[in-house]
Amino acid sequence: MEQPVHLQRLRDIIAILIVALFMFPIAWWALTSIKPMSAMFNKDKVVVFDFEPTSVNYRVVMLGQSRSEIAIESGSTFGVGGSSSYDSRRTILDSLLIAIGSTTLTTLIAMLASYALSRMSFRGRDSYLNWVLGQRFMPPIAIIVPLVTMYKTVGMRDTDNLYLGYVGLILMHALINLPIAILLMKSFFDDVPKDVDEAAMIDGATRWQTFGKVVMPMVRGGMAATAVLCFIFSWTEFLLSLFLTTTIRTVPVKITTFVTSTGSEWGFISALGTAAIVPGFIFILLVQKHLVRGLTLGSLKE
Amino acid sequence: MVVQASNRQETRKPFALPRFLTAEHPFPWLLPATAMMVIFGIYPLVYAIWLSLHKRNVVTRANVFDPAYNWFKVLHDERVWNALGNTLLYTVIALTIQLVLGLLIALLLDSDRKGYSILRALMTLPLVVPPAVTAMMFLLMLDGSFGVLSRSLYALNLLSPAKPILANSSTALAGVLLADIWQWTPFMVLIMMAGLRSLPKEPFEAAAIDGATAIQAFFRLTLPLMSRVIAIAVLIRGIDLFRIFDYVKVMTDSGPGTATETLTSYSGRIYFTGEFTYASTIALLTLIIVIVVSTIFMKLFRVKL
Repeated sequence: MEQPVHLQRLRDIIAILIVALFMFPIAWWALTSIKPMSAMFNKDKVVVFDFEPTSVNYRVVMLGQSRSEIAIESGSTFGVGGSSSYDSRRTILDSLLIAIGSTTLTTLIAMLASYALSRMSFRGRDSYLNWVLGQRFMPPIAIIVPLVTMYKTVGMRDTDNLYLGYVGLILMHALINLPIAILLMKSFFDDVPKDVDEAAMIDGATRWQTFGKVVMPMVRGGMAATAVLCFIFSWTEFLLSLFLTTTIRTVPVKITTFVTSTGSEWGFISALGTAAIVPGFIFILLVQKHLVRGLTLGSLKE
Repeated sequence: MVVQASNRQETRKPFALPRFLTAEHPFPWLLPATAMMVIFGIYPLVYAIWLSLHKRNVVTRANVFDPAYNWFKVLHDERVWNALGNTLLYTVIALTIQLVLGLLIALLLDSDRKGYSILRALMTLPLVVPPAVTAMMFLLMLDGSFGVLSRSLYALNLLSPAKPILANSSTALAGVLLADIWQWTPFMVLIMMAGLRSLPKEPFEAAAIDGATAIQAFFRLTLPLMSRVIAIAVLIRGIDLFRIFDYVKVMTDSGPGTATETLTSYSGRIYFTGEFTYASTIALLTLIIVIVVSTIFMKLFRVKL
């Protein structure tokens, strides 16, 4: 159906406007992070572009400079005070470590399970798949209380032992991503015909060799997409990190601590927030092709 | 002969593993995943059920076995009913708006013309913003005195500066919903777009020949043909909405008062008072409702993920 030119033009304009509307909060956020305080809290008018851009917020959050240092350097004492707890270098490293650790763990475990679920027929296979799916929909809050108790008994809270604290959070992030990873990877394995395995095994390859040397290379793209999605889910996770850790702080949790009883440090919040969304943006553009499948746990393909 | 052959094999593999431990059997493949989900998923869940059967004394920190106590308390706790109401309201409104908007935007962006692929890629960006950051973004824009959205609404006389949107118990839920809708409408757009792409061409050609209008074709063909896709999207999004926690916790912390308190955020609040067994009970109630409603939905609409 060809549309008339003027209708097509109208459609273009509406499409651009709608997408712009959805981009606005992100743009406003990034803009806030380079605004000086006077532009941010202007009581008389909303300052959009007419301000002197500043890197103060990023220097404090990402480089760990203290605010008084910067104030002396710039010759202004406006807004000086507060502690150096806005330094977020540790937080970013914590988040990275946990996201990378949990992604690696999930990917390895899910790869094995999904291969078996895709390739072998055994009693209870469908029930097992349903059970995995059920885990995906369990509200994490339902297991928080027992988990904290469990971790306390074993001495795995980050206040007991920092390293075990990391392990504890990595394990939990891996757990919540595991059902998604298993179902998604299974759908990628399902795309490879079973004849491939049979042919390899007739040629004398063992099951293990078939998996590692024949089938895995054929689903590399899907595995990478799954890993990327797991990374994003771990990077953005909030509830478990909030309840399970006190000294380890992931970015989403840290950012909410910038809201204090005396006011919100919007400059620092938006600087860390802008830094926190960049990895996701890069990654999601890499996995556009598999995004629908990823978000529907492998049940819809594009 | 036969004995000899098997003897030879035994000498080659003196320590043959039982079959269920070999790579031919699914057991070793599924073992790590199963162990993980049982130890960190099922065991805590069973433990949570066990806890919900205990009365906790916040002062002495003792759990006393009293199976009916918490469940009886849940039924008579007005805040539970308030939280359930808020959760349902939130889920239904967000789901409806996201579905309708998602479908419309998908129709709008589903074009092969130049530039539309960029628009579609941009549209997916909100999905990867951490929900806690999204909540902060909207907190900034909805701030009562300098928030850009609040100010625009004041200027249009849609909102009074005396009643900031998040600080007013009759509008706070709408403020939280706004963040959710911004973040998750793209989810619906993506899935609806995939649905539109998979539609067969022939029925539409036949309808066009028969003189059907675009609107007729949409309601008589597009919607029915996409019913499975829509059902899957509603199921996944609906369950996630029902577990809503991040936006409420960060934006309003269930307030003002209990105006935006949902089941999960109420459970979290109780958790911080130290009454762990009651917090578990409320969380389990959420889980039970999710299981019952999603099972009915899957049976009713015959969807399977």
